[in-house]
Amino acid sequence: MAKNDDLAQIIVGCKTGDSKCFAQIVDMYSSRCYGYFYRLTGNKDVSDDLLSELFVKLTEKMGTYKGGSFEGWLFRVASNIFHDYLRGKHRWTKLLDARKTQLELETTEPRWSDAEGIDKLQVQLARLDADTKELIMLRFYSQLSFKEIAEIRSEPIGTTLSKLHRGLKRLRELME
Amino acid sequence: MNGQNQENLKELFEQFFPPDQAASVLNDLQVVRKMLRENPAPEPERQLIAAIKYDIGQALAAPKRVWTFRTLAYRVAVAAAIIIVAAIGTQFLKKGPEKPSQIKYASIIPRAIWDSNDITVADADLAVLTAEVQQIEDEVQALQSGEKRRNGEGLIVEVETELIEIAGDFWKG
Repeated sequence: MAKNDDLAQIIVGCKTGDSKCFAQIVDMYSSRCYGYFYRLTGNKDVSDDLLSELFVKLTEKMGTYKGGSFEGWLFRVASNIFHDYLRGKHRWTKLLDARKTQLELETTEPRWSDAEGIDKLQVQLARLDADTKELIMLRFYSQLSFKEIAEIRSEPIGTTLSKLHRGLKRLRELME
Repeated sequence: MNGQNQENLKELFEQFFPPDQAASVLNDLQVVRKMLRENPAPEPERQLIAAIKYDIGQALAAPKRVWTFRTLAYRVAVAAAIIIVAAIGTQFLKKGPEKPSQIKYASIIPRAIWDSNDITVADADLAVLTAEVQQIEDEVQALQSGEKRRNGEGLIVEVETELIEIAGDFWKG
């Protein structure tokens, strides 16, 4: 409970525009949010940009947080940022007259320039479709319940679990 | 705050999957979680975190400037609008609505009609109309008196006479 109270005080500080409170939020969540972005994009540079965008956006959006799970709210913003990034990629891909399937490869395939950071898991994650991959990463990094995740994704919990079931099975097969 | 601690996964999965499948999903979830822990994603670099904190400071400072500028812009716009409206209103009140100096009346009926005793002579359209009315009246009178029927009979007599003449010419060669 003490941790929750601390977080509540930090959030109040953020709402008054206290940069030190925002800095504390960054310290608390940057690792998990970065992992979320990195596992989805497989690219450090892109993850850097998305993480910066997320926390700067929090300064504008903090007023819209009306209580409840802060992690749920934070990862909803993170998920929206990721989808905006995907849409931007999509538009760019369209401009280049690339095929739709190429988009997914482009956005999910790890950049081999980051070779030292690429592990087997990242390689296999790139073979999952973006939606399933995001669901698994959201579960792992946000530490939200499936009910909360379904709410973020605006879909019934049964749909979320069904997608999760297929995604986990596929990832296990790929890793074996 | 932490939602995962409060959920009973076995119970949740059994609501949506058959028991054996629910157990399989639970097992897959634990295996993948283990894989993710064993293969942690890279951490954000210190420089990045420092840059983010700097950007946050800038972002928090920026809205105040924007707010001040916006407020000033709004105030100037409102003041300008009030001045313009007041100026227009003053001009309007000074002049007031223009009153007609003299009322002129005009007739839509030609003056000649009023001067003349014979309207049909005075107005050409009326003359034509009167002539047409007169013609219709004549025809109606003719119909009433049976003139038309007699004319019709006269035509038949004429046609019969012509036919007799044609027949005589034919036999004569």
